Amino acid sequence: MMHGANHFELFENLRLELRRGSLVLAVLAALKKEQYGYTLRKTLEEQGMAIDEGTLYPLLRRLESQGLLASEWREEEKRNKRFYRLSADGKAILKQLLGEWESINESLRGLV
Amino acid sequence: MTRVPLERYLKNVATGLPETQCEDIVRELREDIQSEMEDKERALGRALSDTEQMMVLKSRGNPFVLAAHYRQDDRSVAFGRRLIGPVLFPFYAKVLSFNLGLTAVVIGTIFLVLGLSGQKLSVSSIFSTCLLQLLIQFAIVTFIFTLVEKQFAKNPDNWDLSGKCGRLRFDLNADKLSTDSLPTERKISRLESVSIIIACTVALIWLAGVKNYPSLILGPAAAFLKLAPIWYQVFLPIGLLTMAEIVRAAVNLVRPDWVLFRQVYGLFVHAGGLMVVYSLIRAGVWVMTEQEQQYAPGAVIVNQLIYYALLVTGAISGVMLVVRLMRVIRGAKSKTGTAGKAGRQVIPSAR
Repeated sequence: MMHGANHFELFENLRLELRRGSLVLAVLAALKKEQYGYTLRKTLEEQGMAIDEGTLYPLLRRLESQGLLASEWREEEKRNKRFYRLSADGKAILKQLLGEWESINESLRGLV
Repeated sequence: MTRVPLERYLKNVATGLPETQCEDIVRELREDIQSEMEDKERALGRALSDTEQMMVLKSRGNPFVLAAHYRQDDRSVAFGRRLIGPVLFPFYAKVLSFNLGLTAVVIGTIFLVLGLSGQKLSVSSIFSTCLLQLLIQFAIVTFIFTLVEKQFAKNPDNWDLSGKCGRLRFDLNADKLSTDSLPTERKISRLESVSIIIACTVALIWLAGVKNYPSLILGPAAAFLKLAPIWYQVFLPIGLLTMAEIVRAAVNLVRPDWVLFRQVYGLFVHAGGLMVVYSLIRAGVWVMTEQEQQYAPGAVIVNQLIYYALLVTGAISGVMLVVRLMRVIRGAKSKTGTAGKAGRQVIPSAR
């Protein structure tokens, strides 16, 4: 039988692993509406998908380089901010990923 | 409006970022962190203090680790197990390429001189010497960085805005961002002082060895060249200057806050070094042939090279002395003013 601290640590690691797999989906879904980094992070946090900046911004860059996001620098509230939005390819991938996610959910429901 | 801790944090992040994206990433990070700080200020109804800004930055994590997330290349050095991870790899690559480049230039110059002086050189001897020297450099740099990696892995969260990270200090590419608006460092790192003491002690031992074994400085050319008498005259002053630097580092090890002491003391040591360079230039001859006349052309070439090297060293050293002098004068003039200014550089109240 595992001790309390070990059990907690193991659960935390597995929980993070599980959530990490859903991050791309969460970010793509949140960017159906154009947002800049800071508001995107807050949106994700409010929806219970908190993500640290050190992970979010490199992920945004990767998704942009893969053609799933488009970005532009624009002034808002007298400050230049980088706004991200889903590209046409991103929309198509998001639709496919959501389908896959639903299918995984269905499978898990059947197993649990 | 300049937030000093934020700018220092971004400067540290920038040292580990890819050149092509550096400005863009820093710009976006600055915007994100400023937004978070402004949110906190709105909630508090006042400007954040430097300590509170520092807490926001601490929550962002180690700047070198953050930079590594952006690189996403996960480059590392491994022999079985990983020796140098992706956080330190860019620094390792810079130091290694500089070291190997310098070694190649030195070896190339030695072989060029040997060739011009009529020495018979085989391709295999050139190749094996180059390979051995480069391998030695590779092994030394890799070993040092492996130790640094171990230290870093033990203390990844032990960092501050002066570039300290895991009880180590990085400042390999500090010119990527302007530092004009940043306050000067108020303490001298103890690690730096210990490093100087070790390096100077090694230099003293080497210097003592050169007197009896000129091959330590002449390399394979020692077979037919010898040091000119001027070197035996300057060994003592060079040794004294090196010892003076050890004393200075020992003082700063005990009193790291004596920054002005280091600056003023450094001026005298620097001036002493310049005098040594001057007396070397005046000598006119720095290496001589053993009796054989066939090596005389080689000695002439080496003397020419040393002459130009001394001229360049003297010129750079002279300019650096003036710059250091001006820095000391400027620092003394604005000592009280700078302290007050740094303390005031928090953003005004949001009310």
